[in-house]
Amino acid sequence: MRSPSSWLFAKEWRELTASRAWWVMLLVIGPLVGMSFIGAVTAYGELSGVNGAAAGVGEAFSPLVGIWAPTFSAGELAAAFLLPFVGIRLVSGDRHSGALKIEMQHPLSSFARVSIKGVVLLAGWLIATMPAVIGVMLWASYGGSIYVPELVTVIAGHVLNGCLTIALAATAAALTEHPATAAIVTLTVTVGTWLINFAAAVNGGWWERAAAYTPTAMVAEFQRGLWRADVTLVAACLILAGMALAAIWLRLGVTVRRRVQETGALVIALSLAIAAASIVTASADTSESRRNSFSTNEEAALRTIPGDLRIEAHFAPEDPRRSDLELRAFRKLRRALPSVQIEYVSATSTGLFEQTADRYGEISYELNGRRLVSRNTTAEGVLESVMELGGVSSPPDNGEIFRGHPLAARPRGAAAVFYVAWPLIIAAMAFYVQGRT
Amino acid sequence: MHVVIRVAELTKHYGSIRALDRVSFEVRHGEVLGLIGPNGSGKTTLFECIGGVLPFETGHIQKEEDLFYLPDAIAPWPAQSVRWALDFVAGYFSAPSGLRDTIVKALSLEALLDKRIGHLSKGQRKRALLAIGLLTSRPIVLADEPFDGLDLRQTREVAGALRSFARDGRTLVLSIHQINDAERVCDRFVLLSGGTIRGEGTLEELTKLATDRLRTSGTPGTSGTPGTSGTPGTPGTPGTLGTLEEAFLALT
Repeated sequence: MRSPSSWLFAKEWRELTASRAWWVMLLVIGPLVGMSFIGAVTAYGELSGVNGAAAGVGEAFSPLVGIWAPTFSAGELAAAFLLPFVGIRLVSGDRHSGALKIEMQHPLSSFARVSIKGVVLLAGWLIATMPAVIGVMLWASYGGSIYVPELVTVIAGHVLNGCLTIALAATAAALTEHPATAAIVTLTVTVGTWLINFAAAVNGGWWERAAAYTPTAMVAEFQRGLWRADVTLVAACLILAGMALAAIWLRLGVTVRRRVQETGALVIALSLAIAAASIVTASADTSESRRNSFSTNEEAALRTIPGDLRIEAHFAPEDPRRSDLELRAFRKLRRALPSVQIEYVSATSTGLFEQTADRYGEISYELNGRRLVSRNTTAEGVLESVMELGGVSSPPDNGEIFRGHPLAARPRGAAAVFYVAWPLIIAAMAFYVQGRT
Repeated sequence: MHVVIRVAELTKHYGSIRALDRVSFEVRHGEVLGLIGPNGSGKTTLFECIGGVLPFETGHIQKEEDLFYLPDAIAPWPAQSVRWALDFVAGYFSAPSGLRDTIVKALSLEALLDKRIGHLSKGQRKRALLAIGLLTSRPIVLADEPFDGLDLRQTREVAGALRSFARDGRTLVLSIHQINDAERVCDRFVLLSGGTIRGEGTLEELTKLATDRLRTSGTPGTSGTPGTSGTPGTPGTPGTLGTLEEAFLALT
């Protein structure tokens, strides 16, 4: 005898496949991913010398940067603008049709019910990921290199982003009476996270810390081949809280006051969980090029430095040197020395009128009472300063240089697959499945 | 017959509007109880409170057995067929095997099984919904306006089917605004008007109550009212009331 949960799974799956919103998303995502993939392969091939002259070597020929990031980025667009509507349709549909009043009379918990919807939506999202997987297969058929750990990391970021979107859509659908209002709420939150990113770029400080956990920033970390425990844990907290909030507001027969109290308790618990998760420093650089790390010898040398290193960088948030410093040096330093404290100091957001200030552009290093000041913003410069201050000599080169994987290939057959075969297959399946139900 | 639901002093507000005002009544095992009242009298609110769909401020609801509340004016899973919906409800609520076929036959749903719920007419949908309610196999079923949208023939068929389920031990509580329909199917009645209970009992008990009340108040009774079966009254001496409609009018 089947359990009530399995009946509910089957029902949610039927409801998803009966939803036109899901089929439209599937239909659109193929050409969208195809366009990105074809553009990426073409550019990669041109840089690799498909027309006779290679443009360069190194990171430009990493499939992580050249192929996976742009191909899966198309999926992020779908996650931001298409997936929420599929989720809202599945959650709001029951409330509007009255099915919720029937289903809620079963003793199955509201959270279990919402979770089942979430799992089914995730399955639907994984199916929508198929065009990107087809892209990987096409890339392999062209003779392209695939480094599994970095590809898995990119896919994990893509799935995590889908889960965040599903949780957001479920929450919005549960909190609002009408699907249109839920759609507005979801888009408002999405645009809100962009505003946080913008504010972070202008103001730095707490905005910058908050911006690290917006879906865009989270996905960007995964697309750089960096798995960060704090980002994953914060995302997991947000997903669980979103589903719990949806469960609270989808329950029937409960007073608004009690729901508000439960929401308050959930927000407090979420804040504490995020605060705890954000101090976790574990991370793994899964990129083949180790683009998020110093060399293993350099990391080993850095770890021998005793005491807590403190760095004060006098750069305004909008100063391009600051983002260079962060991406190319400090990011690597944080992974090697998790206890390092890095603080940016500036009086303005652009730094335009601070250039004449004495300390502007200065990077001050402090370790065990000793201090060193430098203006070098390169990874090598930062490494040299830290090692000098720590009294550690630079380790020998261990030959870990990433040479890249140039591939002078054209995206053969991709246009036919993404622009013709995919839409036709999806349209045929949609007609078949919708006709059957 | 023992009491399976006891509602005591139930009060519910929508903002400043008092939808239910200290409502108290009982439901007995195996009976078909009709909750009678005009539109806006609070029937649906009362059902939703008993069914656990709506919270209420004060009062108490004691349930001795599991119940299922079947709302009015819903079209669940509109893209799915009636056959699928019945299979889903039977599986989800663990209905005993064979019950689905019995209900399909009793409510004459055979011809509708492959139709989508969203494509059904109002009457067809109502019958499909009743099947869903009865399929949950809960001992008590609260059905909101089960005859709404049904024609006379369908109403008689459905009333017969409901009575047969009650004979098999199910307790049915039906919210009905058409008094003739209620009289056809119910064993006892609860009269609700303006959110308050105006009477509870069998047809005989209610007509007696109404007659007594008219006599006590000295109201001119139902003299001259069309359909009055009692003795035409003279001013100050009310006549005897014989139908639920008359009792309802006298008590509300």
